[in-house]
This record gives sequence, C-alpha cells and structure tokens, in this order.
Amino acid sequence: MLLDVSAVTVRFGGVTAVNGVSFSLNKGELLGFIGPNGAGKTTMMRAITGVVTPTEGEIRLLGKNLTTLPVHQRVRLGLGFSQQLVKPFRNMTVLENVALAAGARHTASPFSALFRIKRDREKEQAAQLLAQVGIADAADADPSNLPLGYLKRLEVARALALKPSLLLLDEPLAGLNHAEAHKLADMIVALNRAGQSIILIEHNLGEVMRICSRLIVQDNGNKIGEGDPETVMNTAVVRAAYLGEGNDHVAA
Amino acid sequence: MLYVELLAQGLVQGSIYALVAVGLTLVYGLLRILHVAHAGLFTLGGYVGVLVTNATGSLLLALLVAMVTVGIVGMAIYRLCYQPILDKPPYVALIASIGLFIAMEEIYRLVFGPYGISFENPPLQDVVQMFGVTLRLGEVATAAGTLLLVGALAVFSGKTRFGTAWRATVTDPAMAESFGIDIIKVRYLNFFIGSAFAASAGVMVALLNNMVEPTMGSVPSYKALAIIVLRGLGDVRGTLVAALALGVIEAFGTIYLGKFLDRDAIAFAFLILVLMVRPQGLFGRA
Amino acid sequence: MLGLGAYEISVITAMGIAVIFALSLNLITGFCGQISLGHAAFYGIGAYTSALLTKAGFPIGVGLLGAVILAGLVGIVVGFASLRVRHDFLAITTMGVGFLFVGITRQMDFVGGEMGVSGIPASGFGKPGFMLFVMLCVVLTILFSLHLKRSWMGYSFDAIASDEDTAKVIGLDVSRYKLAAFAMGTALAGLAGALYAHNVRFIDPESFGFVESITVLAMVVIGGIGSVPGVIFAAALLSVLPLWIQFFDEYKLLLYGGLLFAMMRFSPGGMAGLARRIIPSKAKGARS
Repeated sequence: MLLDVSAVTVRFGGVTAVNGVSFSLNKGELLGFIGPNGAGKTTMMRAITGVVTPTEGEIRLLGKNLTTLPVHQRVRLGLGFSQQLVKPFRNMTVLENVALAAGARHTASPFSALFRIKRDREKEQAAQLLAQVGIADAADADPSNLPLGYLKRLEVARALALKPSLLLLDEPLAGLNHAEAHKLADMIVALNRAGQSIILIEHNLGEVMRICSRLIVQDNGNKIGEGDPETVMNTAVVRAAYLGEGNDHVAA
Repeated sequence: MLYVELLAQGLVQGSIYALVAVGLTLVYGLLRILHVAHAGLFTLGGYVGVLVTNATGSLLLALLVAMVTVGIVGMAIYRLCYQPILDKPPYVALIASIGLFIAMEEIYRLVFGPYGISFENPPLQDVVQMFGVTLRLGEVATAAGTLLLVGALAVFSGKTRFGTAWRATVTDPAMAESFGIDIIKVRYLNFFIGSAFAASAGVMVALLNNMVEPTMGSVPSYKALAIIVLRGLGDVRGTLVAALALGVIEAFGTIYLGKFLDRDAIAFAFLILVLMVRPQGLFGRA
Repeated sequence: MLGLGAYEISVITAMGIAVIFALSLNLITGFCGQISLGHAAFYGIGAYTSALLTKAGFPIGVGLLGAVILAGLVGIVVGFASLRVRHDFLAITTMGVGFLFVGITRQMDFVGGEMGVSGIPASGFGKPGFMLFVMLCVVLTILFSLHLKRSWMGYSFDAIASDEDTAKVIGLDVSRYKLAAFAMGTALAGLAGALYAHNVRFIDPESFGFVESITVLAMVVIGGIGSVPGVIFAAALLSVLPLWIQFFDEYKLLLYGGLLFAMMRFSPGGMAGLARRIIPSKAKGARS
C-alpha cells in the first residue's frame, strides 16, 4: 500500500471540513478524488500535503506516519504535488523552476548546498520533463509571460522532478478550455502508464470519468462513494449530492 | 499608592498605543502590509491638532479636523502608494512604506522645523484627583477619548451593514468578494478609519507632552507594530488588550528594570521574549 | 603610498567598510528576501566587541574574530525567534533588536553608556595598510557573495525570496535556509562593524541606530535587491556623497526615504533593474 489515510477529521473553529474520511491507494493507481463545491476535497488534500494538520486520524505514506510532519519533510519522503493556483518562481526561467526541484538532493541541507555549483545534470533532467509534459518550447521563458495552460504543466513538471512515489494533482484542469483539458488529461494518463502513482483531485467530471480507474467521492466532508467510475456515479447518494448542486457537472 | 499611579500611567500610555495599533491591525488584516508609514500619519495628526488649536482655540475642533484630514491622506496613500504594488512580493510594499515614512518625517522637519511646535495656551492641563491618584485632565481625556473611539468602532463594526461587510472582508477577502461586497470600498474605509485613529492618538500625545516634533511617530508606531506581532492572529480586541498590557508593563518595567534598559528597549525585550516562549503570540491558539 | 593622500585613503577605507556592510545585508534581504530593519545593531555588536576586546589587550585578529562570532550568534538567536512567527514579522523583530541594542549600550556602564568607547586601538598596519586590509576583506566578501549566488544555496534562496510556500512544496527546509542567511549576514555585519571601530577609533550608541539601519537598507534597495554589482555601486556612492556634497547631508534622509519609496513603487529591481531594462531593450531594438 502506498498511501493510507485513516479516519482523518479536520475542524476549523466550529466547522468540520473533513469528517472521519479513510481511503488508501496502491502503487501504480490513478485515483480520482471528486466532490461538489465545498465538499472539503481541498481540505483533505491539504491534510495530506501538510498545509493543515488533521484534528484526528492518521496519514501514512509507504508506512511512514506523515500526520504531523511539515510540508517539506513530506516532500522529502516521496510526496510530490501540483498546486491548484499555479505558483511558479517568477524570478527564474521555466527550466530553472524545474531544475531546482530536480536537484532536491543537493538542497536537503543549506550547508552542503553552499558547496555545490554545477547544475548541468539537473537542467538536462528538467529539459526532459518539460518535453514530457509538452512545454519544451517555453524552457527559457519567464513564467510571468506564459498562459495558464503552460503554467499548469509547469506545476506538474516541477512536481515530477522530485521523482515522487505519489503525485498529487490538485485541480490541474481547472481554468483550461476543453481541448487543453483533454490534452493535459491524456498526459496524466501517459504518466500513469509509465508507472507513476497519481491522485487527481478534479472538478471536471467528464475527464475524471474518462481517465481514472477508481473514484472517491466526498460531500460535506464525508466520503459518500468509492469504486469504479460508472458504478460510483450511479449510486443514489452520489447522484443526489451532484444534483443538489445542479447537474451541469454530470453533463460535462 | 505607587502601584495605582503606575497602573494609571501605563493605561494612559497604552491607550495611545492602542489607537495607533488599531489602524495597523486593520491594514495588516486586509492587505497583509506592515504599514510603517502609519507613523507618519500619527505625527501629521499631532501637527494638525496643534496648528488648528492655536488658530481657533478649540481642541475639539482641532481633533475633528485632524482626524478627517489625516483620514483622507491615509486613503490617498492607499490609492497612490499601495494599490499599484499589491501584486508584487510582500517586501516591495514594506520597503515602500518605510521609505514613505522616512520621507514624511523629513518633510515635517523641513516644513515645521526640527525643534517641534507647542500649544500657545496648552489646554486641559489642570490636575484632578481620581481613585486617590493625581492625574492631569489631558491624561483623563486621553483615556476617555480612546474608550469613546474604540467603543464607537465596536458599535459601527458590530451593528451596521457596512460594518458587517467590513469584518467579513478582513476575515476572508475572496469569500467577501464572492458575496458581492465591494472590497475596494472596504479598503478605503479601512485606511480612513485607521488613519483617523492614528491622528487622534497624535493629538493626544501632543496634548500630553505639549509638543509635536518630526520624530514623535517613531516610537509609538514601532511599539504598535510590535503589538501586531504579539497579538498573534487575533482581532481588534486582542490588539487593544495587548496595547494596554504593554503600556502597563512599560510603566512598571521602567521602575524595576530602568537600570539595565530604557523604556523603549523594555517593549522589545518583552517582544523577543514572548516570541521565544509563545511563538503563536500572546493570545493565539496553540 | 600609491600616490594617495591621507584624505583619499580614509575615504576609500570608509567606502570599503560600507560595501562589506551593504553586502552583508544583501545576503539576507537581497538573496533570501528577508527584510531587516535593525541591521545596524549587528554592525554595532561587531564594533563594540572588537573595540572592547582590543582595549582589553587582545590582538586585533581576536577582536575581529570575536566580532564575527558574537554578531553571528546574536543573529541566530534573533533569526530563530523571528522564524517562529509569520514571515513578514522579521522586519519588526529586527527593528526591535535595533532599539534593544541602542537601549542596552546607552544604559550599560561597562560599554561606556552614552559616552561610548573612545581610544580604540588602531589596526597596527598604519592607515594605508589598514585600507589594503579592508580592501582584501571587500574582495573576499564580493567573491563569497558571487559564489553563494551561483551555488545551490543561492538557487534555493531565489525560490524562497520568490514564494516561501512553494519553496516548501519542492522540499526546501525554508526555516533552515533563512536561518543560514541570517547567520551569514549578521556575522559579516559584525566584521564590517569591527573594521569601522578600528577605523574611526571612537564609537557610541548613536552610531548604530535606526538611521544607520535605514542607510544600509537604502544601499541594498537602491543598488538593486540581490544584485552584487548594484549593491557595491550604491554602497560606494551613498557612503561618499555626504562627504562630497555638504547639502546632501542635510537632505540625506529625505533622499533615502524618497528613493526607497520611488524604487519600490516604480522600479523594484533598483538601479540594477533599471540597467537591465535599458540594455536588453537596446539589444532587442538592434535586432528588429
């Protein structure tokens, strides 16, 4: 088992954003994590990445307990993630953004980082990753001048550069048009076929249904469904959750 | 009796810190800018207060004029200085604010002279006996004025529609915007009220010292900034308590620690100490 | 020596010290993006440490070393305290340290109180020799800055200066990096302060107050945050202008304040940023 989330609860003040949710992920899976707006998906993901600390419950990656570790230590243990709002380092090129992540082993301690200069190997790796996500042409560009589609891919490439055992993608398709979303979803499938374990948190139900082998549905902080996409989306409680929000997402 | 005296002095001093700190808290809460130039507005308030009192003879009128003028200057600072650089990294606004503050102090020095100006007929200098302590009327007025202003603010933010929108925006700007609150209007209001409060504090300090000088803003404002750090991510109420506490700690500290530290250093020794022991701030939750 | 008069030697020495001091803040503010408003306190700690050590009979080498170590240690303590709160509060805690330093040195008799410390031993190298020694320190500081900028540490600092939260996402231990920047920058400020003490041979609390902290910040910001050549240029220029132009001294702070504001409002890259903007646009123009 790669990731094991057991009975995680997150409360802010009086609000329970995630209520005793458990799920797990095996190596090589492409898991879709979905739910209507305000379902607490992002809070669940933040609990995994370490931005929020669960009030109760436990999160294990490859058997190691992550629950109270800070973000950077989780990343060092094999968690890579792309953020929902793209955040490139704007004071470096696209290639440098990725190369810095590719050199993670040089940056583990500030002291040893001071004594290392060469970056050729990491730049080569970064160039390969940019080609893999399809933005090799923007390698030397300033991220501030790039369209959203490129920046979403940059987020993915930067996370991949860490060679994570688990890749967490938080709404990578949001804000993209239909064709762009389709292309990026294909790329995610290709990554998964190459052996990358992925959790995909998404709002775009059409693409999720198309590419994911298994779905987890969360609503109002509770897990309300789990299984293969067709079956899960046909259960009454999931349909009700989505119909309550308006059925445009089911149609999408 | 010494203790009561020190407590009273500390509370008066704390009121000043509170009035300055409220404006800073509001700006920090809304824009995440450490508004150092707030100190310059405090000083401006003091100057306007003294000048108008000397011209008209009415302290109350001077206070009102100072609050309104400085409030408008505060809104102008937001519009001309901060709004264009909001999307830059946080240090950009901070350094701009520091530069603005220093330039303001220098302008006061060049315009009004380096030695400061005083009231021609200092108002409220009579002495009264209260709770067995001797206080000047100016000190009583400072404490009462603070109470009145802060009370008015509490009523405004708690009971009016605009107040509700304001609190919502400070808590979560994105959410407030999605509810149709005009956050730009809220920001202007924020700067107006915060700056007007700083101006009132400036007038009160002018009254207590019978003196305004170009650098009078530095110390109270640094302490107000320290208070923002100390209160954790609390609210206006936390800021008020921290400000009064700091005033009292200083008053007692000067007596007992005066040999080692001067008054201004005590506040920062306390700040560093709290940060080491309770990083979440005095009132933050662990 | 070298055909320089005593006046030129003292100006060059003062310039060199200002360059080291400015580059020390550049490590913290320029490379790592952390604002310090009390950097003069560390300059002062270095000055007082070396002054008192050499007055007590220790050789100047011990004085300089002591200055570097003590300033760096205090820097680590302050950095550690600041890291525990929201990141933009470092500016406030360092400002507090500045006040604390002046407050303590004023009040404490064994460091001279208001009167300061006078009769600080000279370097023993003679004025020209001391100038060369300062220049050697300047060169070493510049080389270290340039190396740091090119290293993976500098690379990581770039990321932290741009976006701390995202730096964590690529596995950087942001707190340790910031602490490292703070320790190096304050230790180097200690060295600059010690050199200052042996150059002017008299120090008092007022030499290390808020104005000095703002002056050094102005050097870094006006030169161009993070740009080594820009900061060297601005430090050299701003340290000698008051000597050359009398009227500048009167309006010094107004100018610093105005420039800090104007640079951030209109050109956050400082003079180095302006230069970059002018030169590549010419190159592009030539191509098209």
